[in-house]
Amino acid sequence: MARPLSPPDVAERLRARFGEDVVAADDQFGHAVVTVTAGRYHEVVQMCRDEPEFTCNYCDFVGGVDRGDDGFEVVTHLFSTRLHHNVRVKVRLPHDEPAIDTISDLYAGANWHERELIEMFGIDVTGHPQPVKLLLPEPFEGHPLRKDFPLMSRVAKPWPGDSEVDSEGEAE
Amino acid sequence: MGVIDGSPLHKVKPVKFLLNWGRKYSLWVMNFGLACCAIEFIAGSAAKHDFIRLGVIPFAHGPRQADLLVVAGTLTDKMAPALKRVYDQMPEPKYVISFGSCSNCGGPYWDSYSVTKGVDQLVPVDVYVPGCPPRPEALIHGIVKLQEKIGQEDIKEKWSGTSGAPAVSS
Repeated sequence: MARPLSPPDVAERLRARFGEDVVAADDQFGHAVVTVTAGRYHEVVQMCRDEPEFTCNYCDFVGGVDRGDDGFEVVTHLFSTRLHHNVRVKVRLPHDEPAIDTISDLYAGANWHERELIEMFGIDVTGHPQPVKLLLPEPFEGHPLRKDFPLMSRVAKPWPGDSEVDSEGEAE
Repeated sequence: MGVIDGSPLHKVKPVKFLLNWGRKYSLWVMNFGLACCAIEFIAGSAAKHDFIRLGVIPFAHGPRQADLLVVAGTLTDKMAPALKRVYDQMPEPKYVISFGSCSNCGGPYWDSYSVTKGVDQLVPVDVYVPGCPPRPEALIHGIVKLQEKIGQEDIKEKWSGTSGAPAVSS
């Protein structure tokens, strides 16, 4: 039986195939974390799914992070139920007109995650079969998980739990 | 009820008392459970706290068989039309208990983009029970408050929309 791939092994195999398009590779708590370019994201995920050494047959989640001036980050967590290794694929996107390919053709379970990505961050998921709102009511305007989304209640009354530490963090 | 409504019979004290007594001890309750408050509601219905001893009967088959609606939990803007629909399906006379901080005013989600800040924006609330979540005892207190209110009630007044202000359990 095949053995689980260690994070350096994952990085090595992905670099061999995608070269410079693997921007960064890391080991976080035993999970392989690879940052790839948006253009080859779909191929990377497909390789993680189809290569016998990877066999990542389970897409845990597709999520987003708003990194402010550094744009958005899309995080896709893949797992192999057979080999028990984790591969986290990250993609950096610009703040203006962020777009990424869908992987719902590879993992049906990614469908709703990507719909959430669309409504919460306003990231365009190219090729998604049903790019409509999942959780938000239909007339909702804006993308609430973006850092610049105004919370109207907080405009009227600042958050009372704001501490000095938080304020310093925002100033940076 | 048309007989009562059209005649001065409802003004006769023993009749009014009897009618209100009958109604307040057979409150079929619809649990509109949305979050952790619903668990407290269930605990309230179970053996230890047991609000059935007060005549509050859970497991109404649907809103059309219910007299009391307990909104227990965080109501979101997307769920709000469903609550309104459930309330509209209930037959009069009907009562609403807003159970927990979320349904009272949004609670910890006061600044959220998706939470309805207070179910009283949609349905008329008879009793507010504060807490996050309130204990089952608080629910029972709220039910007793509601029963006191029903005991005082004049059906004609209620239906003409001039009945009193909501009670707050504490």
